[in-house]
Amino acid sequence: MIGRMNMKKHLLAWTIVLLAGFAVLGAQTHPDQLVFPPLSYTPPDAQAFRVSLANGMRGYLQEDHSLPMVDITAVIPYGTVCDPREKTGLAQLLQASLVKGGTVTRDGATLEERLDFLGAQIDFRVGERTATLSLSVLSKDLAEGLAIFFDLLRHPAFRPESLTIAKGRLIEELRRANDAPKPVLEREYAKLLYGNHPLAWQPDRKTVEAVSAEDLKATVARYFVPRGIVLAGSGDFRRAELMRLLNRLTAGWQGVPAPPLALATEFAAVEPGVYFMQKKINQGYVNMGHLGISEANPDYYAVQVMNFILGAGSFTSRITTKVRSDEGLAYNTGSKFTYTWGFPGLFAGYVQTKSSTTGYAIALIKKEFERIRREPVSDGEMKTALNYFLESFSEQFTTPARTMLQFATFEVLGRPLDYFRTFTARIGQVDKAKVQEAARKYIDPEKLAIFVVGDWDECNRGSDKYPQPLESFGRVHRLELKDPLQQ
Amino acid sequence: MKRTLLLLFTLALFVTFTGAAAGQPAKKDYRPAVRLETLDNGMRVLMLVKPGAPRVVCHVYYRVGSINERPGITGLAHLHEHMMFKGTRMMGVTDFAKDDALNRKIDALMAQVYRERYWKLQGDMARADALAQEALGLMNEEKQYIIKDHLWETLMRNGGTGLNASTSNEITGYYVTLPANKVELQMVLEADRMQNAYYREFYSEKEVVMEERRLSENSPGALFEEQVNSVFFAASPYSWGVIGWMDDLKKVTRADLAEFHDRYYVPNNAVAVYVGDFDPANVLAMARKHFGAVPRGADIEPIRTWEPAQNCEKRVTGKGPAPTSVQLLFHTPPGGHADVAALDLLGEILTGETGRLFKSLVKGKELTTQSTARNSAMLYAGRFQLSALPKTQSGVTPEQMEAALWDELEQIKKGGVREDELARVKNRREAMVTRRLQQPAFLAMMLGRSEIARGWDSMFRDLDEILKVTTDDVRRVADKYLGRDNVTVAVYTREMGK
Repeated sequence: MIGRMNMKKHLLAWTIVLLAGFAVLGAQTHPDQLVFPPLSYTPPDAQAFRVSLANGMRGYLQEDHSLPMVDITAVIPYGTVCDPREKTGLAQLLQASLVKGGTVTRDGATLEERLDFLGAQIDFRVGERTATLSLSVLSKDLAEGLAIFFDLLRHPAFRPESLTIAKGRLIEELRRANDAPKPVLEREYAKLLYGNHPLAWQPDRKTVEAVSAEDLKATVARYFVPRGIVLAGSGDFRRAELMRLLNRLTAGWQGVPAPPLALATEFAAVEPGVYFMQKKINQGYVNMGHLGISEANPDYYAVQVMNFILGAGSFTSRITTKVRSDEGLAYNTGSKFTYTWGFPGLFAGYVQTKSSTTGYAIALIKKEFERIRREPVSDGEMKTALNYFLESFSEQFTTPARTMLQFATFEVLGRPLDYFRTFTARIGQVDKAKVQEAARKYIDPEKLAIFVVGDWDECNRGSDKYPQPLESFGRVHRLELKDPLQQ
Repeated sequence: MKRTLLLLFTLALFVTFTGAAAGQPAKKDYRPAVRLETLDNGMRVLMLVKPGAPRVVCHVYYRVGSINERPGITGLAHLHEHMMFKGTRMMGVTDFAKDDALNRKIDALMAQVYRERYWKLQGDMARADALAQEALGLMNEEKQYIIKDHLWETLMRNGGTGLNASTSNEITGYYVTLPANKVELQMVLEADRMQNAYYREFYSEKEVVMEERRLSENSPGALFEEQVNSVFFAASPYSWGVIGWMDDLKKVTRADLAEFHDRYYVPNNAVAVYVGDFDPANVLAMARKHFGAVPRGADIEPIRTWEPAQNCEKRVTGKGPAPTSVQLLFHTPPGGHADVAALDLLGEILTGETGRLFKSLVKGKELTTQSTARNSAMLYAGRFQLSALPKTQSGVTPEQMEAALWDELEQIKKGGVREDELARVKNRREAMVTRRLQQPAFLAMMLGRSEIARGWDSMFRDLDEILKVTTDDVRRVADKYLGRDNVTVAVYTREMGK
């Protein structure tokens, strides 16, 4: 492997240089003296696990008999972006009441107690683009667990009490939504960059109250359909037997998914400058950036490597080294590109630092944005980043459950599965020139929205040691932190 | 990136092995075939082969945490964990002799700064600032000899993932997952920092930890929880949080670190754990070579001050930006005590979406949207915790909430629990442990922490105890531990505007 060859060359050079150093420490080994045996790795081939049920439902199944457990997940092509504006919060309510509301023939509480008695777990989660119903069950109880699982997918009842409890809890959650600074920052930063778009809509009391059990049922009817769902299964089963069971439990269930919603993928530009939200705390919480890219972008790999060097490679990255390690300004700092398949994600440099060093930390991060555009990264940085991606690639396949779930999720999103087969080759093609090109193309220090949650007077004042008022970064927009229950 | 997962006010992790696993003889076949070897210097090595992707989870645990501190050095265990990433006599430095000479000068200057700033009531602050400025000059000079984050970079360059460390009240762990052919790298680096720790860049890293403390202070209700904890634990060293008091973070010295390290970071206080796709004979040989070369340390005395009997009711009230809440906290025995299994199950019967609190207080009386219960058995202490967020918007007061929680406890003390309730939570526990054997990194953590506590197989022995618990046992422990003279009641009221 590439990593190993590099290591050998490296070794020759360093053995000589470091010889004197070793003498001090006697017999102790230096890491650069180590020679590792070769290791080659080929990722699992998705096709080998792919199955199709009689009704057209697809799936990925892997046997694993090491423990008497089975994990089954249905990946459903439904997410928060599918809900209408006036019913924002529908997804959260569906998440909270799908299991609790029971099925046509099973009361929710009885169902939960039965699963609990079996030591089984069933969990329903709604994300931005996909939802997952997951079952974890002892293999001896697989048939009963799966019967409940498919009953929930096919015949959920959303009994009134479950919806009442879900609404009460969601409203309580909204009441607390401004308590901690971090969620406020992430929510408001997304709102600023995406504007009036499902990716940034937030529920309030009115939109939560507007959701009825009929809405939940209509959503299920629209999205929970066999030809849209992809299953991921792993554990202690025989594939042929499980297929028979799945075909039996899905017999007579038909339906094709509704056409995908046409959502805007272009977003209005945001005026650069400082966006400040007042909160009486002792630190400034900062996200500074603009829209990022989609994973579908061919420059994705170069951006990954560039971002690793800039601020995502933890202590090997520039922002962490400068802001945390050198200056001791922050515990959390770095840069991130978030991804939402089909949409541009968000790019941000981030830091949480005491109020008086907020401006100084922002200036340091901005300098790193400029530097990675201005000059090529070093050979050492490049090597660390590439080796990291190549040598850690197999990590995502350490459990069969995770591997199958990845394949299923890719298929639901329409993301090409050759990603896994081609990943190492594509990462390997990234070079210093491509990193610099990616920085120039996808980081624009002139267009930064610098979003700060904190105490204005303290943050803007700075300190004698770090005189950097926030006003020096451009026009300041003071934003009001609104009651999340009534937007 | 996080590098630290502070278990600040609760010991949530410990729940995972106070009582867990699958116990009936017929089911023992899937219990992991763990191999335990003890090296000549007392260091223990746990190995578990799990074929699959060519990766190995590599963890090292030390039996040390904030309970091994004392007033004046609170937060030191955690700060020390940070400093373990700051290089050694071998790593992170190009010219150790020159670097060391500079550090001696810096420490001498900073010792004078601390005298002026912290020892004297009216120190000479101008002199302190001048000396600090001089020290800063030397720190900048030192940078030419420092290889920044050398250990971290070396592990990442070799495909290390899950790179992190964590400090709890009782245990400190260092984590990385490596390609299966590179386990030796972790051993070289861990053995090196066990015996050659150097604590470079100490003064700036202190600032990072103070920022970490500020972060936790900004978490709503965290300062109140810190006070509740210090009221609940009156005498034992559980009474301060892992992050430590800000005053101690300011004043702690490099000499404090060295003393702490030399006492606790010895092979006879450490456990290495390997889970993944590897050859045990090969890994053991490498462990003997690298860890085996570290000299054994002196025997370590356990903590002296255990928590005394409370014999009174304590109450703490506070206000702030978190939701209104009521908590009842009771002292319970440490892990290994015969009553722990029944207390754990009592917590399970009360908590969760199928638990008594949900049925009675969320659904039935509609007093709360969220209510939980849990017993946590630690190394030297235990805590049973009930908590609920009253529906203040419906006019439910904390007093009503507290009375309802006591009602639930009284019902159990008088009427006990039903057989079917008990069977349900036993099954849940049993399946939960099997489930947790699925994730290699989580499994390594459970094995390492269990080994530190009472032997790696205590997670299975505890399950055997769980499965023996009767409804009578549950009623008896409720009566014995959940009384008024053993409680701390904490009432927090939301006050907006801050």
